[in-house]
Amino acid sequence: MAEPPVIEARDIVKSFRIPSVRRETVREHVLGFFRPPPIETLQVLRQVSLEVHRGETIGIMGRNGSGKSTLLKILCGIYEADSGSVVVHAPVTPILELGVGWNPELNAADNVILLATIMGMTLREARGSIEEILDFAGLEKFANLELRYFSSGMTARLAYSVAFKVVRDVLILDEIFAVGDAGFKARCEERYRSLSAAGYTVILVSHDPTTISSFCDRALLLEGGRVVMNDTAKNVAKTYLSVSSHAAEDGAFG
Amino acid sequence: MGLGDTHTKSDPRHLRSNAAPLATHPLSVSEGSVRNRSHLVGVISTLIRTDFKVRYHGTVGGFVWALLKPVSMFLVLLGVFSFIFVPTDPNYKLSLVLGVFLWEFFAEGTKVGLVSLFAKGYLVKKTRFPRWIVVVTSTANSVITLLVFTTAILLYLAWGGRFPSSSRLLLFIVYEIEMWMVVLGFSLSMSVLYPRYRDLNHLWDAISQAGFFVAPIVYPIQILPEGLQPYLYLWPPTPVIEFAKRVLIQGTTPTLEANLLLLVATLSILAVGIVVFQRHVSRAAEHL
Repeated sequence: MAEPPVIEARDIVKSFRIPSVRRETVREHVLGFFRPPPIETLQVLRQVSLEVHRGETIGIMGRNGSGKSTLLKILCGIYEADSGSVVVHAPVTPILELGVGWNPELNAADNVILLATIMGMTLREARGSIEEILDFAGLEKFANLELRYFSSGMTARLAYSVAFKVVRDVLILDEIFAVGDAGFKARCEERYRSLSAAGYTVILVSHDPTTISSFCDRALLLEGGRVVMNDTAKNVAKTYLSVSSHAAEDGAFG
Repeated sequence: MGLGDTHTKSDPRHLRSNAAPLATHPLSVSEGSVRNRSHLVGVISTLIRTDFKVRYHGTVGGFVWALLKPVSMFLVLLGVFSFIFVPTDPNYKLSLVLGVFLWEFFAEGTKVGLVSLFAKGYLVKKTRFPRWIVVVTSTANSVITLLVFTTAILLYLAWGGRFPSSSRLLLFIVYEIEMWMVVLGFSLSMSVLYPRYRDLNHLWDAISQAGFFVAPIVYPIQILPEGLQPYLYLWPPTPVIEFAKRVLIQGTTPTLEANLLLLVATLSILAVGIVVFQRHVSRAAEHL
């Protein structure tokens, strides 16, 4: 009997209600009770289905606003879908929008312990991994520096280092290899390939066709909140390139 | 995500076309990246430790500094009622101290709990773990302060030869736990509403300020007309503070019925908090 998918998403629908005037206080709601603002519904995902099997590396491509990040957040359980279902049979380690959730008031070592523990390590494992994680990010000299003094590149490198160390089964990466110098990218690629070879499941979102075709077996193309293509990574990357070129031409001449 | 974890909001059409998915359990131990109970304890202790570091710069001196607020409030009240309005009741000052500290626990705990999810937005928006941990751990500092106070007042009572009997001491500890349940109930419900209503903290500050004078802290409840007293008990901190004063200072024990009523009331507040929290927490990240 075939093993069930590690992640099984069926008919995911997600929309955001965007009022013309945003009311964020009790006072605004009370004073505007009899004057409800016009609300526009932004349909972000429309009947998206997806199956990811153990050990598979799947890419997700799509233009800005196609619903990639929202889909990832739903798969991770951070957002709730309006309808449909997501069944996840393995622990997921996400890096969303180049970050993992840092506290800027804590130093790098404390942030690593906090994140590693929340992502699934025991306290002892987290403490024992600080040096390795900081080494991987090339930030060993900054262990005691508060994260508010870090550049965005430094925090992103630290995020990848934590996720690569902590990952237990499924790794979800939003725009991998978008940060860091050549040395860090090479270390990421090497670690990524070793995880993939060891049978970890990876979902990779990228705008870069080369990244998707080099690192993924299969890929999805999202357009307007729908899966318009589910094929080999190379074919999807090629189609995405062509769709993006047409869109750019339309934008330039239309 | 725990093994077999499902996060679903199924429409009826979906339920007809697929095997029914498992229900969502926002308070389940297996949710998110939490592996088991011992790992859950590790996550809780890490969150408490990091909160302590951020709030008190990781030092005992910082913690002592934070105690200055309730201590200064106590000293001002003590000064006022020692030199300006001199009470006839010899237990008055001790009742005032007890009332102020229990009130501070309630006010500080709910104030921090209310903003807890918002303050931890950096984690809530990026990682998946049981969100209730954030609210519960946010009250840890208030609990530590209360423990320090409890030790101090018990030592003071022992020094004055007025240490309570074991049954009354046990009841006092039960009242403190019940106050914590009230704090958690309010914190759980308000923490998920705050990201939507960003002035809820100001509203709660105003309610708390009025609530300080509704609770029998600066005055004994007996000075009020008998017909009015039951209404004051509708404000949750009132019975806890009043009962705590009776067992620890006045040396009397509230009736069994009164204790059971208080227990039911505090459990109800906690239950409402959990229900409101469960209902809104899955959408909290969208409002942060």
